[in-house]
Amino acid sequence: MSEAIAGHAEILRADARALAECAERLDAIEARLQESGVAPPWLRDAVRSHRAACVRAADDLTDAAADLDRYARGARRRPAPEPR
Amino acid sequence: MSEETDPAAGLLRDAAREVADIGVVIQEAARHATAALTDRAVLGSVSRAPSAGCRAGRTLVRALTGGQGLGHALVGGRLGTLAGKLGAMAGAESLAVRVMAVSLRLRIAAVTRTHPELADDPLLVRLIEAAAADRDLEAIRALRALLKDRGAVRTLSGLAPVFGEVLALRALLDENPLNDTAAWLIATGQGYASADPILGLSNRAVAVLDTGEGAARRIELTAAESARLSAEGTLLGFLRNIDAIGTTGRMLIQSVQGPDGTTRHVVHAPGMRTGRPDNDSPQDLLGAFSSAVLDSNPYSRALAKAVADYGLPHGAELALIGHSAGGAAIMNLAQDAEFCARYSVTHVVAVGSPVDFKKPADPHTWIASVTNQHDIIPTLDGQGAGGCFDLHPDWYTVDYRDSTHLFPLCHSIERYLANLADDLPEERAVIDGRLAPYHGPVVRAQAYRLYDRVPYPEGFPFLTVPTHPVDTPRGTVELPIRCQDGSALTAYFAVEPDAARRLLRGTGLGPAVQMRDRAVVVVRACWNRRTSLGGYRELHLGVVVPDPWRPGSLRVWPDLLRDADRRCSGDVLAGSVVDSAGVHDLTRTLWGGESYLAPMEFELTAGTAHIAVGGLRDRVLTLDGPLGLGFPARDRDLVTYTSRNGTTLRSCVRTEGRCRIHPMPRVRLDVGQNTHPFARRLRELGLDGERPALCVSVTSRRSLRDAAVPVQTT
Repeated sequence: MSEAIAGHAEILRADARALAECAERLDAIEARLQESGVAPPWLRDAVRSHRAACVRAADDLTDAAADLDRYARGARRRPAPEPR
Repeated sequence: MSEETDPAAGLLRDAAREVADIGVVIQEAARHATAALTDRAVLGSVSRAPSAGCRAGRTLVRALTGGQGLGHALVGGRLGTLAGKLGAMAGAESLAVRVMAVSLRLRIAAVTRTHPELADDPLLVRLIEAAAADRDLEAIRALRALLKDRGAVRTLSGLAPVFGEVLALRALLDENPLNDTAAWLIATGQGYASADPILGLSNRAVAVLDTGEGAARRIELTAAESARLSAEGTLLGFLRNIDAIGTTGRMLIQSVQGPDGTTRHVVHAPGMRTGRPDNDSPQDLLGAFSSAVLDSNPYSRALAKAVADYGLPHGAELALIGHSAGGAAIMNLAQDAEFCARYSVTHVVAVGSPVDFKKPADPHTWIASVTNQHDIIPTLDGQGAGGCFDLHPDWYTVDYRDSTHLFPLCHSIERYLANLADDLPEERAVIDGRLAPYHGPVVRAQAYRLYDRVPYPEGFPFLTVPTHPVDTPRGTVELPIRCQDGSALTAYFAVEPDAARRLLRGTGLGPAVQMRDRAVVVVRACWNRRTSLGGYRELHLGVVVPDPWRPGSLRVWPDLLRDADRRCSGDVLAGSVVDSAGVHDLTRTLWGGESYLAPMEFELTAGTAHIAVGGLRDRVLTLDGPLGLGFPARDRDLVTYTSRNGTTLRSCVRTEGRCRIHPMPRVRLDVGQNTHPFARRLRELGLDGERPALCVSVTSRRSLRDAAVPVQTT
């Protein structure tokens, strides 16, 4: 059981890293298009908003992974209660 | 004219592809978080560490439903999917969907670079902006304004290059959860749009209505059609063949002798047949739909049956050429491993077809796809001009634009032919170069009619009857005469009883059936278009008489409605006209009575009739005018009495069809001013200038007519 929880935590940590990269990639895409002069006028606001959301989502998943780790450790320490 | 010519558009497409990839990464993260939240193993351990478990749960819920991060992002698994759909219905969006919308908008921006008319048109801009901003009411208003200003054809044509993107945008952002999967597939290019992006109606659910094992029957093309077939194997020749066959439920196979002396074969598959959405042809609307959506469908199975019937040796080389739904159907054939094991499918050329998610069974099959960017049909699988994914790096794809923006004109095979002939010489040369083994004289050709399932024999079951030969002065004739397709008009007149009595004198039959103290006389004109004796027109004049053996019976009217095998009453033939010399020669032998040979005209629609006997200068009669109100009914058999050498003969015509009874016809019978005996007889009955009391019209019927049988009536 606790291994499964820890497994989820590990995946979420990797996802948090990927989301942080997504924020960087969005920035890079926007910069590239702006530099080439082909960026649509709405792109800057859209990318800014989604970049912030990616960063926030990465933080959320990092927190969730940390909580899942604590949960896994707690579950590992305590045996399951005896059924009555 | 074709391919990417604007570097800016290329940059935008690259960006769209990368943003779509980011959207997929975000969606995967949301899926993983949902799996962690709903995993039984996670939930089951709460009793061991209740505080930490609840805290982890709360953090996950916040991550998956907080508006600032992943958004409303529950996805995957039963619980996650249900919660996700409920969220979509409430208008809550996930970050992944919002990022994917950016990708779609970049795709639209890329298309706009090469289609500046999209940016110049304020109404189109308004619609696209509203769709991208998830302003439903505004999008509907913009669409309505477009339709009002341009009409459906111009609106569709204008939108065509970004049709898939606009629909996917709307579907991703609207509150309908049923179309989200289809929109996601369009946006990511991961597969065929599994549902229509507007309502979310499952494509497969619609496509499975198209059932049948497929069947093909050899047919002969008309001389005019055959003359249009190409005698040489070239790309344009093959496409002209498809044009010649038309969207008529048929296909063609040609064999060409290649430059190396080898005989190869070309399967031509035209597009959708017009008419009812679901008819007996696999080329109907449902067939077009299932060709695009399914891997195998009645159209492709019917094509395989035609190829099998054509009789090709194992391993014979085949090129498959298709237009529209035909292109999707030949791709289905190309991805049929069993078919490809039997024959060597060397080339597939699909023109104006939604084939992006088809995959040939033989990796060596060379595939070309030709699409006009204003043609909506190829975009029905969700990938059109705005596509940013290279789904087929090994295919030869020609995605071009021309000045003809109007759909469906730009979808027609004629337009594609003209484009390939005049505007795309390089692309045509590439395809023709690959088709070089098929360049050569056509040595054999066979057309087929295709069916959803094995068709009934013609006329089955009504015309499936035993036949027998009868010797006549014109040679042996097979009876009964079977008419596959005919039409008839029967006009009932009320005449002076004395006139009818004079006509019946000496026949031993009668008295004439009366209606309000007037005798009933019938004029019946038929056009037997396809019979076992060929086509011919005929007209009968008869006096309606009761049962010859029980003339006083009161049951004459019910008896007249009985089927021929149980009817005793009938018409005494007072003369007939037929326009076929062959049938005229048989008349006296087979049925007796007076018959004349004369030209006839027969035109019958649901509301009017025009029947003329005799030429323009020696007109015997015309029966012409509107038929008035008609009530549907079952067509009735005919029983006719004639006499030959003093013997009474009874003959029957059994019919099958739906007729219309016209109780207030306004047709008028005019008798020609000449001495023709038939005209004289009509005048004797006082029919010149008369209107019938009742008419019965039948525009399509089958009939069986055997020889007359002598009956003793005295």
